[in-house]
Amino acid sequence: MATWLINATQATIDGLIDGGIYAWIGLGLSLSFVTLRRLNLAYGATALFGIYGGLWLHQKWDLPLPVLVVVIVVITLVATAYVEVLCFSGRTNVSAQSGSRPAGEIQNAEIVAMAASFAIWMQLEQVAVNLLPRHLQAFPSIAATSEWAIGEIYIRYDRGLLAVVGLLCCWLTAKWLAHSRTGLRFRAATDHSLAARLSGLRVDRVQRHAFYLAGGLSAVAACSVLLLDGQVTPMFGMWMLFKGLVAAWLLGGHSLGSVMGGGLLLGLVESYAQWLMGAQAREFVLYALLFVLLVRQAPVTRKGLTA
Amino acid sequence: MSSYAIGLSTDMAIMSFLALAAYLLLLVGRISFGLQAFFGFGAYVAGIGSTMLNWPFPIAVVFAVVIGAIVSAAVAWPTMGLSGLRYAIASLAFAEMARIALSQWVWQVRIDERLIGPNGVDGFRDIRWVLTNDITDTQYLVICLGALACCVAVMWYFERRRIGTAMRAIGFDETLAQHMGLNTHHIRVMTATIAGAIAALGGALYAHRTTYIEPAVFEPMLGVHSVGYALIGGLGAPFAPLLGVILDLGLLNAFHDLAQWRMVIFGGLVAIFLRLKPRGLVDEKLFDSLRKGI
Amino acid sequence: MLEIKDLQTAYGKIEALKGVSLNANQGQVTCLLGPNGAGKSTLMMSVAGILKPKRGHIKFCGEDITGKSPADIVSRGLALVPENRLVFPALDVRENLMAGAFRRRDHALIRADIDAMFDRFPRLRERHNQPAGTLSGGEQQMLAVARALMSRPKLLLMDEPSVGLAPKVVAEIFNIIRQLHAEGVSIFLVEQNANMAARVAQHFYLLEQGRQVFSGDAAAMAADDVIQRVYLGKRQAA
Repeated sequence: MATWLINATQATIDGLIDGGIYAWIGLGLSLSFVTLRRLNLAYGATALFGIYGGLWLHQKWDLPLPVLVVVIVVITLVATAYVEVLCFSGRTNVSAQSGSRPAGEIQNAEIVAMAASFAIWMQLEQVAVNLLPRHLQAFPSIAATSEWAIGEIYIRYDRGLLAVVGLLCCWLTAKWLAHSRTGLRFRAATDHSLAARLSGLRVDRVQRHAFYLAGGLSAVAACSVLLLDGQVTPMFGMWMLFKGLVAAWLLGGHSLGSVMGGGLLLGLVESYAQWLMGAQAREFVLYALLFVLLVRQAPVTRKGLTA
Repeated sequence: MSSYAIGLSTDMAIMSFLALAAYLLLLVGRISFGLQAFFGFGAYVAGIGSTMLNWPFPIAVVFAVVIGAIVSAAVAWPTMGLSGLRYAIASLAFAEMARIALSQWVWQVRIDERLIGPNGVDGFRDIRWVLTNDITDTQYLVICLGALACCVAVMWYFERRRIGTAMRAIGFDETLAQHMGLNTHHIRVMTATIAGAIAALGGALYAHRTTYIEPAVFEPMLGVHSVGYALIGGLGAPFAPLLGVILDLGLLNAFHDLAQWRMVIFGGLVAIFLRLKPRGLVDEKLFDSLRKGI
Repeated sequence: MLEIKDLQTAYGKIEALKGVSLNANQGQVTCLLGPNGAGKSTLMMSVAGILKPKRGHIKFCGEDITGKSPADIVSRGLALVPENRLVFPALDVRENLMAGAFRRRDHALIRADIDAMFDRFPRLRERHNQPAGTLSGGEQQMLAVARALMSRPKLLLMDEPSVGLAPKVVAEIFNIIRQLHAEGVSIFLVEQNANMAARVAQHFYLLEQGRQVFSGDAAAMAADDVIQRVYLGKRQAA
C-alpha cells in the first residue's frame, strides 16, 4: 500500500513537472492559434532551425551561453518570418462588403495555410539536419547534478523550476493578452478584421507581430528545455509541435490560459499511463486522449451541420 | 526496361494509391495526416492473409481493402464533422495510435519451422508470396499498374456523375452545399471510406513488393507526402496526383545529389503551388481546357 | 471639408461607382440617399480607404486621401460607423471603445473619453464588460457610433445607421445625430430612410446606379417631384 502511494506521488510530481514544461513549449503555438486562428505546423521546425543554426555557429566560434540563446532566438524569428510570408500572410483577407466570408471560404484559406506550413516544416527540418548531420548534438547544459529526495520520492528541482517558470510565463502572457493595449490590438485584429481596419489598425502588421511573438516565445522555451537536457536531436522539432499541440488543444484551444491546464493534464496522463501500463502506453494514451477530446468537441448531427 | 526502372515504376505505382486517397479527401475539402495508417493496415492484413492464412493473393488484397474501408468509415464518422484543422489533427492522432498499437502487436504462427507474423516493433518479415510464386518484377509491376488503372478508371467514371460534382461542391463551399440539400457529412464519410480502401490497396501491394514491413514505415511523413503529391499534381482529374508522385520520385532518382535536399525542394514546391496554383498543376480549369482541346 | 470628384470604384469587373462627385461641408449634416445597390456603401468604403478607387479623387481638409490606407485616414480625422455596425463581437463594450482610439497616443485622455461616451450612452455603461456580440441591435449601433467618436474625428461617416432597427431605436439614433450636429461634429450620412434623414440633414445627394442624380438642400428636395414620390412616399399632386 505504501509503495503504491509513493509511486502515485512520484508519478504525480513527475507528471506535473513535465506538464508545466509542455505548457511552456505549447505557449507560442497556442498564442498563434488563439489570437490568429493559425495552426502553424512549422512551429517546432522553426525553433529547431534556430537551435541548429545557433549550434552550428557555436561549434565554429564557441559563443557564450547568453549569446547562443540570443542567436537562436534571432534565427528562429527569421525562420518564423519565412513561414509567415510563405504560408500565412495575405490569407486572411476579408471582403469589403460584410467583413466576413462564407464559412467555407474561411475554412479553405485556413487549411491551405496549414498545408503550406507543413511543407515549410519539411524544408526547415531538412536544412537543419544537413547543417549538423550527426544525430545527437550536445547543447550547453546547466542541469543540476543532483535531485531532492523526500523519503523515497525524488524531485528534479531544476526541471521543477523550469516548469514553474514556464507556467508563470503562460499566465503572464495570458494576462498581458487580455489587458494590455498591444494585446487588445492582437485580439481585435482577428476578432473582426474589417472592423479592425476601420478602427485604424494595420491588421497585417499586427498579425505579423503576434506571429513573431509566438515564434520568439517558442525559441526561448526551447532553449530553456535544452539547457536542462544538454543535448538535442532532429526529433526535437516534432516533439515541440506534438506536445505543444496537445497542450494547446486538450482543453479546447479557445483561450491562451487553457494551455496551462492542457499541459498539466497531458503531463499527468502520460505519467500515470507510464506508471500503470509502461512506456509505450505513454505515447499511445497521449494520442488517444487528443483524439477523444477533439471528437467530443464537435457533435455531428444527422445532417452534418456542426454545432 | 531495366530492373531499376521497373522497381522505380512499381514504387511510383504504389505511392500513387496514397496520392489518390489524399486527392479524394482534398476534393471534399479535407486534409488528412493519417492515410499512412490505412496504408499500414492494408499491408499488415494482406501480409497476414497471404502468408499466415495461406489465402490466394487476390483474396488477401481484397480483404485488406475491405478492412481498410471499414476502419476508415469507423474513424470518419465521428471526425468528419470537425473543422478542417481539427480533422487534420484528429487524423494524425489516430494514425499515431495505430502505429504504436502495431508496434506492440505480436501474432506469430509456425510455418515450416519458422515463426512468421507481425512481431511488434520488429515488424513483419517474409511476406514472400511474390517469391514463392515466381512472380517476376515485371509481372508485379503489371499487377500494380492494373490495380492503379482500375482505381483511376472507376474514379474517373464517378467524377463525371453527380456524386463527383457533389463532392467538389462540398470542398469549395460546404455551407452552400448544405443549403443545396447535400448531406455533407454522409458524402464526406463515404469519400473517406473509399480513400481508406484505396490506401489499404496500396499498402497491400507494398507489403508484397518489399516482403518486409514495420510500423516505423507508417509514420506521419508518409501521409504528409501523399497530401503533397495530390496538392502538386492537381485536383482536376484522378490521374493528376500521379504527376506529383512522378515528380517527386522521378526527380529524386534522377538526381541522386539532390537526395539531401529532397524535402527542401518538395516542401518548397508544395508551398509555392499553394500560393500560385492551390488546385495543383492539373487543376479543374486546365483539365477542362485539355478535355475541350481534345 | 470632404471633396469627392469623379470617383469610380469597381468590384472586379462590376463598376459600382461610375463617376461620383459630391462635397460634405464642415459643421453640416450631409446626407446621401439612394436605393439598394446604388453604390452608397461602396462610396463610404472608398472614402474610408477599404476600397481603392479606379479613378477620381477624394480630398479631405484640402489633402488628397485617394487610395490611402484606412489607418492613415483614421489618423487624419475621418471615422466610419459602418453598415451593419461591425462591432468586435468577442471584445467587451469597453474594449470596443478602446479600439476606436487605436490611432491615438494620448492615453490619459482616452480614458476620459471613454467615460464621456458612457455619459452620452448610459446603456453602454450598464453593459460595459459584456461582449459586444451579445448586445441588441440598437445598443450595437450606439456602440459603433461611440467607437467611431473615440477617434475624435473631424468628420463622422455613418453608413445606414437605422437599418434593421425598431422605429423607437431609430428615433434615438437620429436624436444622437442631431445632438452631435449641435455640438459641431460634421457628419456625412448615408441613409435609405429618407424621411428621418430629411429631419436632420442640411444638404442632400441622391445616388442611383453609381451616379449622382440630385444635389440640393431640404427646400430643393421638397420641390423635386420624383424624390417626393419615390423616396418620401408623397402621393402624386392631384
